[in-house]
Parts: sequence; structure tokens; C-alpha cells
Amino acid sequence: MEKPNRGLQILNIASAGLLVVATGLVFLYAPQERTMGEVQRIFYFHVPSAWVSFLAFLVTFVAGIAYLRGGNRRWDIVARSSVEVGLLFTVMTIITGSIWARPAWNTWWTWDPRLTTYTIMALIYVAYIMLRQGLEDPERRARFAAVYGIVGFISVPITFMSIRWWRTIHPVVIGSGSATAQGGFDMTSRMLVTFLFSLFTFTVLYFCFLANRVRLENLAERVEQLKAKLLSA
Amino acid sequence: MLLDETPNTVGYMIAGYAVFFGLPFLYLVSWLVRQRNLEKDIELIQTLSEDEKK
Repeated sequence: MEKPNRGLQILNIASAGLLVVATGLVFLYAPQERTMGEVQRIFYFHVPSAWVSFLAFLVTFVAGIAYLRGGNRRWDIVARSSVEVGLLFTVMTIITGSIWARPAWNTWWTWDPRLTTYTIMALIYVAYIMLRQGLEDPERRARFAAVYGIVGFISVPITFMSIRWWRTIHPVVIGSGSATAQGGFDMTSRMLVTFLFSLFTFTVLYFCFLANRVRLENLAERVEQLKAKLLSA
Repeated sequence: MLLDETPNTVGYMIAGYAVFFGLPFLYLVSWLVRQRNLEKDIELIQTLSEDEKK
């Protein structure tokens, strides 16, 4: 198996190290929240995971614009890789949010504005993958996907702002939320340090996943090129 | 939640962290499988093109 280059190796090791430290902070440094108990610790990875999903789709949006402007296939690879990584974090956010909601809201799921918009956003990006799989011509696929990635990004700010615009039970971490929000809490300094460190860790983890995914996609492109060369010979 | 004492929600926390570590682990395994398959494809294509040259 081909080894990744030195830069990627360093990023992989740094990400693993940061994840170990973040996990240590969550379980050993952050205090227990009194009202919800241990389940509140999900918050330290749940919010960064949601943040990374937004970041991933933002990268797809930017890569889509860059592809349409210059036509460089590298941007298409970045866009599709970022969607896949973003979906991983989206699924993680939805499942862990549901696990947290059971003791906090006394239900696994509710069609709250945040949960609904987040689910719609996830489905929009699942459709992005399906769209790509449905198109044979690589140029056409890249162009359509770029446009879809740009238009689909509208769902991200709507999802982000949903808990600020509409009546919701989902708590707001930054800024003031709805009066009907349930499960919110005041962060102590230790909680804030743990949260910010986790946010940083997940951001680094995202770029690590993206770089590795791009590398895999480059390998797939190489296979396609070799196949085409062999067939034309 | 208006409770006098802190509820025992350890099970939910464990389930949550199992998801946080389990899903990326499965994703990494899928990468390794895909990478191995692609490398096998490259080897096969290279063998075929060498055979063709002969």
C-alpha cells in the first residue's frame, strides 16, 4: 500500500494526537453538568461535528465556484471529497443529537426547525452524491455537481440560523436563542476550554479527512486514466 | 428538566461516544478497502499493458 506524503503523515498524527487530548479534556477536565448529568458531555463533540459539516459544505460551495471559473478538475475532486466527509459528520451529528435528546427532551426525535432543516440539508447532499453517480460524462458531471453544490449551499445558512429565526426547543450555543429552548446550560470556564479545544480538533480532523479523501480520489482518477489509455492502445 | 439530583445518563453518553468513534472508524476501514482495490486495479492494468507490449 502506497504511503501518504510527509505532510499528510504529519497531519494524520497531529489529528490523532489532538483527538486523544480532546477526549481527555471531555472526560477528565470538564466538570459534570448538574441538570443533565453525563450525557451533556456529548455536546463537546456534537457541536464541533455539526460545525464541521457546515464547513465541509462551504468548501464544496467554494470549490464549485472555483471549478466553474477555471475548469480545473482538482476543484471537482475537492468538492466531491468534501461532501462525503461532510456527510459523515452530518450523520454523526444527527445520531448523537438524537441520543442526547432522549434524556434532555424526553424524545428521540421531534420535527423542530433545527432538526428538520438539518435533515433536509443532509438529504440535499445525499442527492449530490446520487446526481454524480447518475452522470457518465466526467466534464458534464463536474459542471452539474458544481452548480448543485453552489445552489445546495443555501440550506447551510438556513439551517444555521433556524434556531435564531424560529421558535425552537434546540438550544443555542453562541448568541441568544428561543425562549422555548430546552437543554441549554451556562458554560463554566473549564467547559468552555474543552468546547473550544474540541472545535479546533474537529476542524483539523476535517482537513485531515479531506486531504486523505482527495488522495484516494486522485488514485481513482489515475485508475480511470490508465484504463482509458489501455483501451485506446 | 427540573430534578433535585443529577440523573444517571451514563448509558446515553457511552452510546454517543460509541457513535463518535465508531462511524469514523468504519469510514476509515472503507477507505482502506477502496485504496487496496484501486492499487490492485493499477497492478492489473500495468500487467495487461506490459503483456500487450510483448
